[in-house]
Amino acid sequence: MKIPRISPETLLVLERFMESPTEWRYGYELSRATGLKSGTLYPILMRLEKYSLLEAAWVATEEGVPPRHTYRLTPNGLEVARTKLAEARPRNMVRQPAFCNG
Amino acid sequence: MLGELHQVKNPWEGTRWALGGAGVLVKQALVSLIMGRGRHGVVPDGGLFAQSAGLRRAALAVSGAFVLASFLFLGAPPFRQAFQVAIAPWLHLYQLASRNNQPGFEDLARRAEARRDAEALALCAVRLQGSQQSAALAQEAVRLEPNLLWVYAVVAGRAPAIAKNRGWIEQLERWDPSNALLPLLDAQAIESEHFRHGVWTQPTAEQKQRWQCSMATAFAAPEFDDYFDRVAQLTRRVLPRYNYYDPYEVKSRDLIDLPIDVFNNSERYAGMLLHSGGELESKGERARGRDRYLSVARFGQLMDTHAHSALGHWMGTSLQAMAYRQLEASYQKEGNQAEARLMDYLAEKFDSVKGEHPGMPAESAFGLKTAQRNAAVVVISALMSACFLGFVFVATIILLAGSRRGAAPAAQRARPVATIVIMASSVGLLFSSITLYLTYRPYWYIFQTAVASGDRVPTGDLRFFLNDLSMVPGVSPRGYSALLNALVYSGSPSFLFYVWTGVTLLGVIGLVLIFVRHFQARPRTHTP
Repeated sequence: MKIPRISPETLLVLERFMESPTEWRYGYELSRATGLKSGTLYPILMRLEKYSLLEAAWVATEEGVPPRHTYRLTPNGLEVARTKLAEARPRNMVRQPAFCNG
Repeated sequence: MLGELHQVKNPWEGTRWALGGAGVLVKQALVSLIMGRGRHGVVPDGGLFAQSAGLRRAALAVSGAFVLASFLFLGAPPFRQAFQVAIAPWLHLYQLASRNNQPGFEDLARRAEARRDAEALALCAVRLQGSQQSAALAQEAVRLEPNLLWVYAVVAGRAPAIAKNRGWIEQLERWDPSNALLPLLDAQAIESEHFRHGVWTQPTAEQKQRWQCSMATAFAAPEFDDYFDRVAQLTRRVLPRYNYYDPYEVKSRDLIDLPIDVFNNSERYAGMLLHSGGELESKGERARGRDRYLSVARFGQLMDTHAHSALGHWMGTSLQAMAYRQLEASYQKEGNQAEARLMDYLAEKFDSVKGEHPGMPAESAFGLKTAQRNAAVVVISALMSACFLGFVFVATIILLAGSRRGAAPAAQRARPVATIVIMASSVGLLFSSITLYLTYRPYWYIFQTAVASGDRVPTGDLRFFLNDLSMVPGVSPRGYSALLNALVYSGSPSFLFYVWTGVTLLGVIGLVLIFVRHFQARPRTHTP
């Protein structure tokens, strides 16, 4: 299975999905949770969907309002997310505060 | 994205959401355009070039080609010279502030002295404006090569007192006794004797006598040679020897001219001759009177025919007009209408305002407004080329910094923006370079013609263009004068130098601080 290169922004998105792996998430909700703008978030979601790591579905809302797109991790996506998040944790680089207490 | 937009409550957030969505669509369209349909296109992740190595490489390759094409222009001499003249407004300010108006010729003089090149020393003596320096160079040149004695005549016009004191005019009169210029210079030197320390004094009877004698000799001389054709020959020979090719040098050839005192003295003496001719006519000696008028006309014709400068031709035609007008009046009094009409025709022809002046430089072929526009285009294109090159350089550094292993997240995030900046700047650089080359190219050919001839520029095109290039674009002449006054007369000859040095240092310090902060902010490994 071909896996796309995972950028730090993509990791953030996968982390949010992993909080509730079976839950469908809306784009705006993900944007608020990750802090990513629409111009950054949607290419990530489209790319993950292209590589079958996410599945998407349309949800009808009230009349006159365009339907909303929701996303959920696929089983492949879940496995990849677990792997990538696990790999990323030891490499997490934390900025040292300028002044340490103690 | 559109569906989500209805969930966004805050208008400002909604605007940002909509703009981001539009950006995604534009990127998709661009990817389709560049990569083509049917290819396994790239869905950009976090940016157009963020995850697409192929697209980024293509973009960088195209940008590199544009930058290389721009650099190829440097191989073209017109392009290099265009840059040289484009920085003229700033150099002009610097040269005025440092009171150094002719650094090129001063440097040439130093090199000529080191090589003991008599011809180069003579050319610098003629071209430099400082009288003391010119006199010293002329003396050295003649000492090395006595055949260059004529240089004394050209320099004497600028420094009559020095010429008189060193006996140059006597030497010249022995060397070229038939030349009308030399007694004119002698008369100028006599005039300078009663102008001391900025104050005119009344000439003595002896000075007046000597002056009239010199002028009479000039008006009776059979030849006139201002030696400017020899200056042109020197220019043709010397400048290529020292690889000195400067359009502003070509423009400054207009400064090589007869001193205005020569014109004033000639006009004054001609007036005296015409007046004395009128007195002779009133006594009934019409023939003798007309001889005086014709002597003025003959001298004017001599000047007009043999002068190589604008003032020389102007002087010649003006004197002829004066003489023919007087002759017309004389023939009218006599009742000889045919001759009177002929003299009237000649007076009109040589009239200083309405007449023909074949010796004057031809008008501009392109026009003044075109020269102004072209000058602004050249200066701005050169400036934009430099700016775009700077953007390409900085963005390339950012791209390289972000591409390293372990690069900071900020540097990695900056890579797509850096790539776009490189692309846009390379296009701008190429466009500016093409504009600069094409705009300056006609002036390059005019300049080449002037270099080959060694003489002044035959048309006003290059002159108008270079005059306008001396001004900073967008600054009115009044504003420019105010700027010059503020900078040049600030009390310190190096004021402008200190200003620009300070600005440059601040910029360098700012860049150093940015780099230091960047390396300090690199995250270190967290150990639990």
